[in-house]
Amino acid sequence: MLEAEGLDVFYGDLQALWQVSVRVDAHEIVALLGPNGAGKTTLLRTIAGLQRAASGAVVFESRALHHEPAHRIVALGVSLVPEGRRLFAGMTVLENLELGAFTPKARQRREETLTWIYEIFPVLAERRDQVAGTMSGGEQQMLAIGRALMARPKILLLDEPSLGLAPIAVRRIFDVIRQINAHLEVSVLLVEQNARAALKLAHRAYLLQTGRIVGEGSAEALLRDEQVQSAYLGLPSA
Amino acid sequence: MTVNARARGTITAGLATLVLAMLAILPAWTARTDVLNLGFLIFLYVTLAQSLNALVGFAGQINLGHAAFFGIGAFVMRWLWISGVHPYLGLLAGGVVALLFGLVIGVPAFRLRGAYFAIGTLGLAEILRITVGNVLPVVSTLPADFITGYSLVHRYYLALGLAVLTVAALWVLGRSRIGLGMLALREDEDAAEATGVNTLAHKLVALAISTALAGLAGGLFAFYHVSYYYQLPFSPAWTFDALLIAFVGGVGTLAGPIVGAVFYVLMKEILTRSLVELHLLIFGVLFILVVIVLPGGLVEAASRLRRLLVPGRGLSQSR
Amino acid sequence: MSPQFLIQQLVFGLLTGALYGLAAAGLSLVFGVLRVLNVAHGELVMIGGYASFWLFARSGLDPFLSLLLTAPLMFVIGLGLHQGLFAYVETLEEEPRIKNSLLIGFGLALAFHNLAIRLWTADERSINTAYSGAVVTLGGVVFPVVRLGALAVAIVAIGAIHLFLRRTYLGKAIRGTAEDWEAASMVGIDIRRTYLVAFALGSVLAGVAGTLVSVGYSINPGIGLEWTLKALIVVVLAGLGSMPGTFLGGLLLGAAESASTLFIGGAYREVVALVIFLLVLMVRPQGLFGR
Repeated sequence: MLEAEGLDVFYGDLQALWQVSVRVDAHEIVALLGPNGAGKTTLLRTIAGLQRAASGAVVFESRALHHEPAHRIVALGVSLVPEGRRLFAGMTVLENLELGAFTPKARQRREETLTWIYEIFPVLAERRDQVAGTMSGGEQQMLAIGRALMARPKILLLDEPSLGLAPIAVRRIFDVIRQINAHLEVSVLLVEQNARAALKLAHRAYLLQTGRIVGEGSAEALLRDEQVQSAYLGLPSA
Repeated sequence: MTVNARARGTITAGLATLVLAMLAILPAWTARTDVLNLGFLIFLYVTLAQSLNALVGFAGQINLGHAAFFGIGAFVMRWLWISGVHPYLGLLAGGVVALLFGLVIGVPAFRLRGAYFAIGTLGLAEILRITVGNVLPVVSTLPADFITGYSLVHRYYLALGLAVLTVAALWVLGRSRIGLGMLALREDEDAAEATGVNTLAHKLVALAISTALAGLAGGLFAFYHVSYYYQLPFSPAWTFDALLIAFVGGVGTLAGPIVGAVFYVLMKEILTRSLVELHLLIFGVLFILVVIVLPGGLVEAASRLRRLLVPGRGLSQSR
Repeated sequence: MSPQFLIQQLVFGLLTGALYGLAAAGLSLVFGVLRVLNVAHGELVMIGGYASFWLFARSGLDPFLSLLLTAPLMFVIGLGLHQGLFAYVETLEEEPRIKNSLLIGFGLALAFHNLAIRLWTADERSINTAYSGAVVTLGGVVFPVVRLGALAVAIVAIGAIHLFLRRTYLGKAIRGTAEDWEAASMVGIDIRRTYLVAFALGSVLAGVAGTLVSVGYSINPGIGLEWTLKALIVVVLAGLGSMPGTFLGGLLLGAAESASTLFIGGAYREVVALVIFLLVLMVRPQGLFGR
């Protein structure tokens, strides 16, 4: 469904991604793992159109994304929940959600979408008039995901959703991701530091290191792999 | 340096010497006051534009209050001179006072970044202008005995000397380690700070040079004019002229303000015959074009033209 | 000094301050959303004033009615200026963006100023309608009808913009873009379009202020710098983000100017405003513009 092929991305003269190719099929949750600075955020941003690739292509449901501006990519069904959430902090929960449905197609179904966002995240319904910046980390993350979902995406790009959250909140977020994927048929490309939780959630995973894909496979297999265990899961190698 | 660049450097130096020699003997050649006045104006504007160039072109700080220092230099010089002090001392004093004022406001002003520094200095200059205009709303006129001894040729040479001094000072600056630090902070202030460049110190040095030279230019103005309103040298028009000339000519380069000044004064002269103030409109449009399309100004345009006309000639050294 | 005199001066100050607030609202919108400091903003005020002046001089159209024509005109001018000039800076990082917009605005201001002199001469112009001299007197305090009308228009304009930003989708998109432009593009907002609209609206606010200046006071090609500075002072005082807040800031500046005229004379009125400006800038150098 989503295919990134041979992406080379530069920051000025510095190359951040080298011939990176990933694939996300319909109904899948795909995890993207790797140490800090590996280029995971860069990859998501490139797919979302916030970063231009020097070469390579991003194709989504047979449409080329890599030449489209970011707001068009959202309209086509790809939504990014960025690292650090990037909410409109001065605006209310409801306003953030409303803006999430800015694209014309999403706008038409806004009320309907809002209802099921409130079902998935009841806390957002409670706090709909609260200013976003005053909410807790976990609540903000839910708002960020809710806002991205308001665009009715077919694929959700999630960048470090567990960052800075208490374990309870993290569990809740991951439950929600599983729910969205199972019941709403939204594919997910998930970047996560918490490799174990990500691998338990995902169907497949890629390993990214210093801008290159160094491994890929089913989540199960990678969980059991010894090298992965030591490199990413913090377990001593045998 | 490549052979071509060295050759070009020598040719430039040779041409510059030739032009300077011609300018030096010009008064012996012609007694026409309009020519000498034109020369004076060009040299004055070169000094003024280069003084701004030191801060804007080298250190990347936009000072919209530059006229304040021009005005201070004029004011101090005029006052001392009429009080009986030798004009050269008065000129020097003007430069020194302007420099001191620059340092005093520089330290707090540089806490403001970018645009805030620009509008802050603009506000400051306007405060100065209005205050001077209120306290001394009159015309400053030279006493009669000063007028009888007035020599345009003297002033021509003084202006030429000051312009040469200014260009030399900037040339030295460009080659110094401090100058290099300034260029670094012009490109990216945060990066420069991170690599250990004391950005505040560099900005202050640039400001000191800029204000001192502006003060000297102001003193020159006061020495030249028989009568003028005390607040005139504080008018923002001087800042704008300096900005226009420096940018259209090529800010950050040595030749830019020189080329710009010649262009500006000549155009003003030609257009005054037919259409008053049109030169400002033209320069305003040119300025916008330079900012958007051709940041290197006329100097860059000239070098691009040269490269176009003489393809494959040597290595181009700059982006 | 009688209390009546004091109140009279205060009233005059507030009436003028309303226009400062209106002009400043336009600048605040542009700077808040685009992060562009358009120092030609005052020239837009001037242009708005001349537009109404000439409509009145040539066809007798009442200046308040002319707003129906000049407001759209200013919107179009704003569109053109943005697309032609300021759109260029949007691709730059924050610091060069601000610096270059400053320079472009400077060149524009110069060009507009001199163009205006060429087209319309440097003469002072004022719109004198049949009711220009009319006043309303309340408790011994005089309220010029024209300036009251200007106050009303200013309040309506500020109110309209405020409602637009709060209630409409495009308005919210503009606010969102002002908060975080990347996040805005992540939710599907075309930020170039919001920049364009914000700039055009800022131009409209400036132009409307200009019309009100030409009918209540007078205009000449050189008022640009003065109005840019006034708008800057108010924006620095009031901070970004709220149209009503900026309007109040304008009223405050007007009142402060009146007060200073009373105590230290009119000649230093501008100086007082500028000193306040510098003090606020120094005390909160990034803070007033930062969030």
